[in-house]
Amino acid sequence: MAKQIVSSSELDTPDKWEAQMRKGCLEMAVLASLWRGRLYGLEILRVLERDSSLVLSEGTIYPILNRLRTEGLVQSEWVEADAGHPRKYYELTGTGRDRTTHMAETWTEFSTGLGYLIEPVLNKKKVEQPQ
Amino acid sequence: MTSETQINDYLSQLRAALKGMTVSEREDIVEEIHMHIRERVADPQCSLDAVFAGLGPAHELAQQYRTGVLVQRARTSISPVVILRAALRWATTGIEGFIVFVIAIIGYATGVIFLLLALMKPFFPANTGLWVGPNEFNFSIRMGATMTNPASPVHEVLGWWLIPVCLVLGSLSLALTTKLLQFLMGRFRWKVPFSAATHTRPAMMTL
Repeated sequence: MAKQIVSSSELDTPDKWEAQMRKGCLEMAVLASLWRGRLYGLEILRVLERDSSLVLSEGTIYPILNRLRTEGLVQSEWVEADAGHPRKYYELTGTGRDRTTHMAETWTEFSTGLGYLIEPVLNKKKVEQPQ
Repeated sequence: MTSETQINDYLSQLRAALKGMTVSEREDIVEEIHMHIRERVADPQCSLDAVFAGLGPAHELAQQYRTGVLVQRARTSISPVVILRAALRWATTGIEGFIVFVIAIIGYATGVIFLLLALMKPFFPANTGLWVGPNEFNFSIRMGATMTNPASPVHEVLGWWLIPVCLVLGSLSLALTTKLLQFLMGRFRWKVPFSAATHTRPAMMTL
């Protein structure tokens, strides 16, 4: 019984770790999705899913966007759309662009450093799994 | 129940759960969610139930908005009430938030007690002070015979200096607690959006 609990716990831990890691990147990902221009909520969800494999629930993106707007990182505007109803578009502010740039640089520096560290781990895995 | 009725019910629940926000903020949020639902259900492959499942219950969605606004206000506000409300909200999310809330209560209570002592000194000069004795060193108001007993080993050491000392210590406690909590709110900020992330979202068509 004890062994089963330990085993179950070990299985859960990587999932939780991965979920936390993805959550930590969420704000940067949302800001980065707006880098090329304005998007509305549903478009942001689709861009994140297509370009980063980040699948967010629909109920998650809007509160994030609202918070980013109150922090002055994005601004929003209602626009009449061809779809027959208005859409609320978001775009980065100057502060938002600066923040996104800083986040991207920090992320790159961090992931590059970690890449060197975990390279032997991945190489060992390749050796263990002959093609 | 028709789809339109279901949508209106959901939006009514959302509007009601967004209490505490301004009317314009609330209506802006409700309108955005309304347009989102309309656009999603326009896709024949997407059911209304799937959209509601993706959004999560209206009260949970509203709570995420309210928490986000509350934390943002707390990060820039110096009002202990605003900061304590945000800390209380954080406390509901886990042990880390509970610890922060306890820190907030202790910090603010300490500040208020120092300020009250400064205020009480003119009214109870003989009973209010910094009391020092063999096993004692504390600021307090003391009532009873021990204070008038010259043989008591406990005595008051600050006299009228208690007022400026307590005013400074009280102000410092309030200011430092506020600054610390504003700093900690920056950490909480990262946790805010994630409570509903577990709601599943059906795959959508790519752009």
